[in-house]
Amino acid sequence: MTTNDNFDVIIIGGGITGAGTQRDCAMRGLRTLLIERSDIATGASGRNHGLLHSGARYAVNDPESAEECIRENRILRQIAAHCVEETEGLFITLPEDDLGYQKTFVEACQRAGIDAEIIDPELARRMEPSVNPELIGAVKVPDGSVDPFRLCAANMLDAKLHGGQVRLHTEVTGFIREGDTILGVHTRNLQTGQEEDFRAPVTVNAAGIWGQHIAELAGVGIGMFPSKGALLVFAHRVNQMVINRCRKPANADILVPGDTVCIIGTTSTRIPFEACDEVAVTPDEVNLLISEGSKLSPSLSSTRILRAYAGVRPLVSADNDPSGRNISRGIVCLDHETRDGLKGFITITGGKLMTYRLMAETATDAVCRKLAVTRSCETATTPLPGSEERSYEAVARKIWEAPSMAQKAAAARLGTHAERIRDAGREDAALVCECEEVSVGEVKNAIERMEVSTLTDLRRRTRIGMGTCQGEFCACRAAGLLAASHGCIERERADLRDFLQERWKGNFPIGWGDTLREAEYTQWIYKHVLGL
Amino acid sequence: MRFDTVIIGGGLAGLTAGLSLQKAGRSCAIVSTGQNALHFFSGTFESIEEVPERMAGLFSEAGVRLHYQNGVRLMPLGSFRPAALALDDVDIFPQPAFSRKALIVSIAGYQDFFPAFLAEGLEKQGTQCRIHLLQLPEMAQLMQSPSEMRSVQIARTMDRVWEKIVREIRLLLKDEDTVILPQVFGLQDTTVPGRIRESIPARVVFSGTLPPSVPGIRTQQQLKRRYEVLGGNYLSGDEVIQAHVHEGIVHSVVTRNLDSHYLEADHFILASGAYFSKGLRSNPTRIFEPVFDLDVEAAEDRNAWYDADFAAGQPYMQFGVRTDSALRALRQGEAFKNLYAIGSVLGATRPEFGSGAGLAIRSAFAATDQILQSSQK
Amino acid sequence: MKMQENTYSKHNFEECMKCTVCTVYCPVLQVNPLYPGPKQAGPDGERLRLKDPFFFNYALKYCMNCKRCEVACPSGVNVADLIQAARIKYDHSAPKLRDRILASTDLMGSLARPFAPIVNGVTRLGVTKTVLDATLQIDAHRSFPKYSGRSFEAWLRRHEKEQATFPEQVAYFHGCYVNYNYPQLGKDLVKVLNALGVGVQLLDKEKCCGIAMITNGMSQQATRHAEHNTAQLRKAVGRGLRIVSTSSTCTLTLREEYPNLLGVDNADIRDSLTMATRFIYEKLEKGATLRFRPDFHKRIAYHTPCHLERLGWGIFSEKLLRMIPGVEFTLLDSACCGIAGTYGFKKENYTASQAIGEPLFQQIRSVNPDVVACDCETCKWQIEMSSGYPVANPVSILAEALEV
Repeated sequence: MTTNDNFDVIIIGGGITGAGTQRDCAMRGLRTLLIERSDIATGASGRNHGLLHSGARYAVNDPESAEECIRENRILRQIAAHCVEETEGLFITLPEDDLGYQKTFVEACQRAGIDAEIIDPELARRMEPSVNPELIGAVKVPDGSVDPFRLCAANMLDAKLHGGQVRLHTEVTGFIREGDTILGVHTRNLQTGQEEDFRAPVTVNAAGIWGQHIAELAGVGIGMFPSKGALLVFAHRVNQMVINRCRKPANADILVPGDTVCIIGTTSTRIPFEACDEVAVTPDEVNLLISEGSKLSPSLSSTRILRAYAGVRPLVSADNDPSGRNISRGIVCLDHETRDGLKGFITITGGKLMTYRLMAETATDAVCRKLAVTRSCETATTPLPGSEERSYEAVARKIWEAPSMAQKAAAARLGTHAERIRDAGREDAALVCECEEVSVGEVKNAIERMEVSTLTDLRRRTRIGMGTCQGEFCACRAAGLLAASHGCIERERADLRDFLQERWKGNFPIGWGDTLREAEYTQWIYKHVLGL
Repeated sequence: MRFDTVIIGGGLAGLTAGLSLQKAGRSCAIVSTGQNALHFFSGTFESIEEVPERMAGLFSEAGVRLHYQNGVRLMPLGSFRPAALALDDVDIFPQPAFSRKALIVSIAGYQDFFPAFLAEGLEKQGTQCRIHLLQLPEMAQLMQSPSEMRSVQIARTMDRVWEKIVREIRLLLKDEDTVILPQVFGLQDTTVPGRIRESIPARVVFSGTLPPSVPGIRTQQQLKRRYEVLGGNYLSGDEVIQAHVHEGIVHSVVTRNLDSHYLEADHFILASGAYFSKGLRSNPTRIFEPVFDLDVEAAEDRNAWYDADFAAGQPYMQFGVRTDSALRALRQGEAFKNLYAIGSVLGATRPEFGSGAGLAIRSAFAATDQILQSSQK
Repeated sequence: MKMQENTYSKHNFEECMKCTVCTVYCPVLQVNPLYPGPKQAGPDGERLRLKDPFFFNYALKYCMNCKRCEVACPSGVNVADLIQAARIKYDHSAPKLRDRILASTDLMGSLARPFAPIVNGVTRLGVTKTVLDATLQIDAHRSFPKYSGRSFEAWLRRHEKEQATFPEQVAYFHGCYVNYNYPQLGKDLVKVLNALGVGVQLLDKEKCCGIAMITNGMSQQATRHAEHNTAQLRKAVGRGLRIVSTSSTCTLTLREEYPNLLGVDNADIRDSLTMATRFIYEKLEKGATLRFRPDFHKRIAYHTPCHLERLGWGIFSEKLLRMIPGVEFTLLDSACCGIAGTYGFKKENYTASQAIGEPLFQQIRSVNPDVVACDCETCKWQIEMSSGYPVANPVSILAEALEV
């Protein structure tokens, strides 16, 4: 076993909070290490709508969260341009809803500083042709969409550019503790089995819902409130604006367009903590999502569904509300020295994707206090790597004279960093994933710079396998490239199996029609043609 | 328009039925919704264990040469599978350790062939492997389009430049007893694979690629051409959308393109494939056969359609239309008098016919025998 | 409505299984590396274009709308429609003068016809061709189709009374080619239909079907033609007439492209418009007879034009030709000749166009027929120019074989 003590701070958890915290710490000059059991954004960070909340959804019930959201919304548009799509959003009132709520809603939005404007239903139908034409009221709000994988990867990349280190697929197995002080962590790499100790004066627990387990390892208690939310991905964009229901938050009342798809969600079900690792979408949830979603946009009832997935909201238990919806989405930063008498250990939890930067700032402030570092936070004004330019159209035109579809898609995914694949030779310009237009060059860039060790990791960095065919063709092409990078064919063959299994997990809950056709074809290719 | 037999589906099952009926002097129309599973054919005929003389005859008249040998074939990701019957240019080996030393040759920039996986699989069998990527200026044009370094496009170039490749391989070859090449030869000119074998002083093995399959497309074109030479009509890109049935007899079918012009026949064969080919369709509540609404053997509960394990056998792939002992299709338990179901639309409901290619061919012959006998009466 | 009982998408793009079979059968892809191919240009591109019109790719103009991708697609995706619809929706660049000239087949025809001998002479001159090549980028290898001195419309008007005497009547959508370039085909049709007891009428006023306008980026003009022609057909149908055509491209355009690409609803009259070969076959099937010359003997190789392949009606031409005693019939392999309307006329496409057609020309040479039969006027120009064999419409062959 080796020990490494070149760090000022260790961050546990590679979700958006952990990645954001690492970036903030690194930008303030700290030597950082991020440890993640699996890959970036595998928990709640990557299992949500990808909604760039305006805060309107929380305005009535949770004004504090609403204010945080709109502030961060404005910041993310500036610093994370290549992860954000400025789609705008609608809150619609249907005949079965109380139109009176609209007034309450708009007033609450205005109090929170959210620019909410009541518009004529006819105008709403023109602005968003897919909206339920029976709507009787509409409010326009500054919602948008955000790609959580890209956001997480960009934060981690920036942390690395500021000297940070990252250990993915590495589990924290225990803490190095002396008396009442945490001095570091014991870890094990889940792919190689290698054990390693890391030491730092401060450790941040940013493990989301699994933070409860990490805290237990450190000998302190946090009560998480695991709440499962299921979502469906439709195979193409039905809507161009976010569509919400203007009523008290309920099931399946947000439809978000993101990249080439749109996503309806969510449900909310309390689950036991032990169930957090394996959440499956049930047929009842699928039915509910389709029928409620079709009220936002009727075409969802006849649009091909690509997959179903579920995440677990990392809420901190606060009261006895059985649905979990009325809990504050507020940020919880626990300094365990003051709370539990345990030095060198901080937990950052609660919050949400939208407020990750603020969470990171809060946690980093706490870290800096412990280390007596006075440098202030700059994450609200410094663009993430790739986001130096606001529009990917401008990026693509700046890099290429006449960008191809794949080059345009690369610019949309990488932002200004698409520059890195500008001079790709013909072999590197070839497509790996035809659905999402991902080239060999883009895959190689991800493998070289973005901590990729499996096909599923690669998917989160590049959108490979996220398109209509769900990896049917691109998976084995990408496996060839990945195998060339690590050199172990047997490992890659197993990885390919895992990848297909992971895709299938999201396909079979909605396995009918064209999705079942695709599944049969995939079976055919991998079992009968390729002999995997 | 009237025919002796209308065949719905132009894949391996439909073409085999069409060829044997045309050969027996019957007039057929095949209605094919686009191209079919032969475009993804691996080159070996699954679940055929005996020498199929009748099939070999039919196929060789079409110019499709087959060879028969019990053994294993090399799969594109480096594993081996049992096989017995294959296209002429697809090898079957007595055992996986068929070579001492192999040279695996691919083309730079070609992603749909997996030399490293092949090498690893072969090395497990004790075969020493060397991989070589050919840099071909002839590929420059294809590479201009990022999505076109695919098997069929490469094969079109290879039909022109294969002799140059042979020369390069001869120079490369040291003491290897085997040369492994991707299946990108002989798309138009069917003699190319054989000529490559003759001109390289080692055993030449053509190994599979990602679809579309070059030998599969060639086979489809050869069978279709032969069927048309025999006078058969092949309606490409059309789809049977409705059937006219009276007292258990199918009188005619309606197609999307011919609309009010019905196709009438004495016999009908349903060779429409499974899900991919839309011979079976599904929605959240049921799996059904869309043309005749035939009885489908399938689980009612959607949860029972799948196994959560991708690698496991999937229940939905076992489902298929029900037939009587003579392969006549059933609706509400009653057999149609002149409608036969063959090939993968049967799913696994008739295990005695095998699966995959074996099922397609055996059930096609069984149905055509019924038709020829019943018309003699 | 039952949730998810059926799923729908524009031109069925969501039914694409990414199997890439369309790319196997795309004739352009085989010769033009600048074209992204039907899968990428069609269903793949559509998902990105729905995200942002910025993803529209101008290389879609290389699609020649032959529709072979649609015939090959195992999933029923209307790939070519997706591509042409995307061009109509997103390509706002003004068409070149050359493209506008090539697309305006009826305008060209009506201007040129009165001066036919002069125009034919001039367009055939080497110097003119060089000028056309240099200034308009119309390839010098191409000959403009000859213009006929008298239009078919004028000829048929002179025979109106005689035609009205037949017990059954049809209207004929003759198209620009028959009217201005080759009235003989129209006369051949009249001869065959008359032999079946059917008289032929003109529509009150037909305009070019507009296919060349669609493929040359002039969809607004095409839509005006579509609205005009649809109204004309509707009038004829109102008079109890069916409408026949001898051009597979006109027929496909009037029946399919109008509603699918231009949004002109023709559901009420679509089934009344048919190819002449189908109409004749159906008459014969119902008991009508034709008497053929006993001395007729021809070796015929039949080429199914791409658009007839898409209509799925090649079988009628084939069955009719096989019906003629003394015909030795060969069905040529399904392949594109490469001309695709005005596509092959453009200088930038000439090489591609010839390369696409080469396998077909080779097969024709090896069959060595007396005549190649084909239902498309532009295929006729291309095959005659490139293979040296004469090409005739099946209707003309029928007319020639008739004993009158």
